[in-house]
Amino acid sequence: MPIEPQKIKKVRRNLELTLWEKLYIFEVIRGLFITTRHLVVNLIGFVVPPAGKKRSIPTIYYPEEKRVMFDAYRGRPVLVAQENGSEKCVACGLCEKICPGRAITIVAREKENGDRFPLQFTLDMTRCVYCGYCEEVCPKEAIVMSREYENLAAYNRAEMIFSKESLLRPEKDLRERLEYVRRIYSKCNY
Amino acid sequence: MIADLIETVVKILIVFGINMGFFAPILGWVERKQSAVMQDRVGANRADILGFRIIGLFHPIADALKVMVKEDFIPDGANKLFHTLAPFISLTCALVTFAVIPFGGQYELFGHKVNLVIADLDVGILFVFAFASLAPFGAVLAGWSSNNNWSFLGGMRASAQMLSYEVAMGFTIIGVIMVYGTLQLTEIGAAQADFFRWGIFLQPVGFLLFFTCAIAENKRIPFDMPEAESELVAGYFTEYSGMKFVMFWMGEFVEIVTISAIVTTLFFGAWHIPFVSDTALVSLFSPVGQAASNLLAMIHDSLGSPATALAVSTLLAMVVNLGVFLAKIIFFIWLQMTIRWTLPRFRYDQVMRLGWKMILPISLINIFITGLFML
Repeated sequence: MPIEPQKIKKVRRNLELTLWEKLYIFEVIRGLFITTRHLVVNLIGFVVPPAGKKRSIPTIYYPEEKRVMFDAYRGRPVLVAQENGSEKCVACGLCEKICPGRAITIVAREKENGDRFPLQFTLDMTRCVYCGYCEEVCPKEAIVMSREYENLAAYNRAEMIFSKESLLRPEKDLRERLEYVRRIYSKCNY
Repeated sequence: MIADLIETVVKILIVFGINMGFFAPILGWVERKQSAVMQDRVGANRADILGFRIIGLFHPIADALKVMVKEDFIPDGANKLFHTLAPFISLTCALVTFAVIPFGGQYELFGHKVNLVIADLDVGILFVFAFASLAPFGAVLAGWSSNNNWSFLGGMRASAQMLSYEVAMGFTIIGVIMVYGTLQLTEIGAAQADFFRWGIFLQPVGFLLFFTCAIAENKRIPFDMPEAESELVAGYFTEYSGMKFVMFWMGEFVEIVTISAIVTTLFFGAWHIPFVSDTALVSLFSPVGQAASNLLAMIHDSLGSPATALAVSTLLAMVVNLGVFLAKIIFFIWLQMTIRWTLPRFRYDQVMRLGWKMILPISLINIFITGLFML
């Protein structure tokens, strides 16, 4: 999302007031015009929204309208699922090792063909600090910070401990973040 | 006799209904919503019934329900009598003022004279001032009896501020009284039938000063020293909860309406439409009246008389005049709300300096100049 250049407005500070300003009443009327202009513009904006927006007021009506988070947003860490539904994770244990809050616990097993996989992958969200180290360190792009920002809080701690199954997300939902991760954390960047 | 009684009761119901049933609840919504929209916010719109929100208009109902079931708390060590009495004084003073404010002219219905004012006192404007000067008692008693330092400070500030502005306010309208030569609000209203005889043209300075004093009397920003949320918690009503808190709140809103009504009556032609006199209005509606009487004649022959036609058109003219008066009031309510959400608060010494050193002398000069013009 590109940042629009903002016009800088100069404000006179700590200056002697002119006689016109000292008369107060005219400046008050000017202020009233400014607020009234905002009122009228916004009221019109409710009925006839400006192009490309729902209304001229920037507020998002949260539960009904949700903001799509930007790529750099670090929400709930999730596991990337392969096409066949199983996890990409190979249980190398790097994320477990680097996690500053020690939120990740992995129990690794080996398949018949010698591939490693996590039998259990437990994410304790009471400990997670959303630093994104796990994503950065992961050699397989198996764990990423998603855009999910809802239901991060819970009424009891048991609800905040997530198993591998509840963390799996299809890869296509996480594509933007994965591309972002490749761009930012790729080895040549260091 | 009976007709007089019915007339009075109807008038009281109209005034009380419009104030307590319409303005008091709706102003809470207006204050939230208008302030929000002019600050580029959305404002209260979450209360819904079956998913319908109608731009937050359910919030007054939700608020009313909430305050009715809230605990009515009287703090330890408070003077129970005065603590209970104070909100009633505030609300009553604001409401009673409406008795003398004319919301329409004088009409004749079936030979019965109808005067659209509850009590047509000879000293109407003095009555207004008498009750306006009683209003500080509500704030002062509330602050004093709450046994709370913040409340007490708020009450002290209220007493000082409101007494100061009471003086200046009295002087600001003397010019108006001089110009129209009467204290009776109905006569002042009737004298403004001509558009160019409106108070705003004869007393522009008087209007500005009176409006300022009136806002100061109402203790609203920029003159909200007695409340001063950032300094005194909530000032004199810190210790109030539930219905009593809402009574202060409603008192404030009714006072906004009162101020608007007085300003309209004194300076903005009361119930008159510019360039349309009362008799012209009645004759304007005479075709409608004729049609209505023809319709009524189908029910009973005696109803089809010209008297009925005149009565119907007079009634319509009354409603229009009331509507015009309400429209003017609504405009001034909007203006007060805009001022409240535009200006920052004065410092306490600035409030006092404005009252005593600026408004009071200017109003005296205004009286002097008005006198010169009248000579």
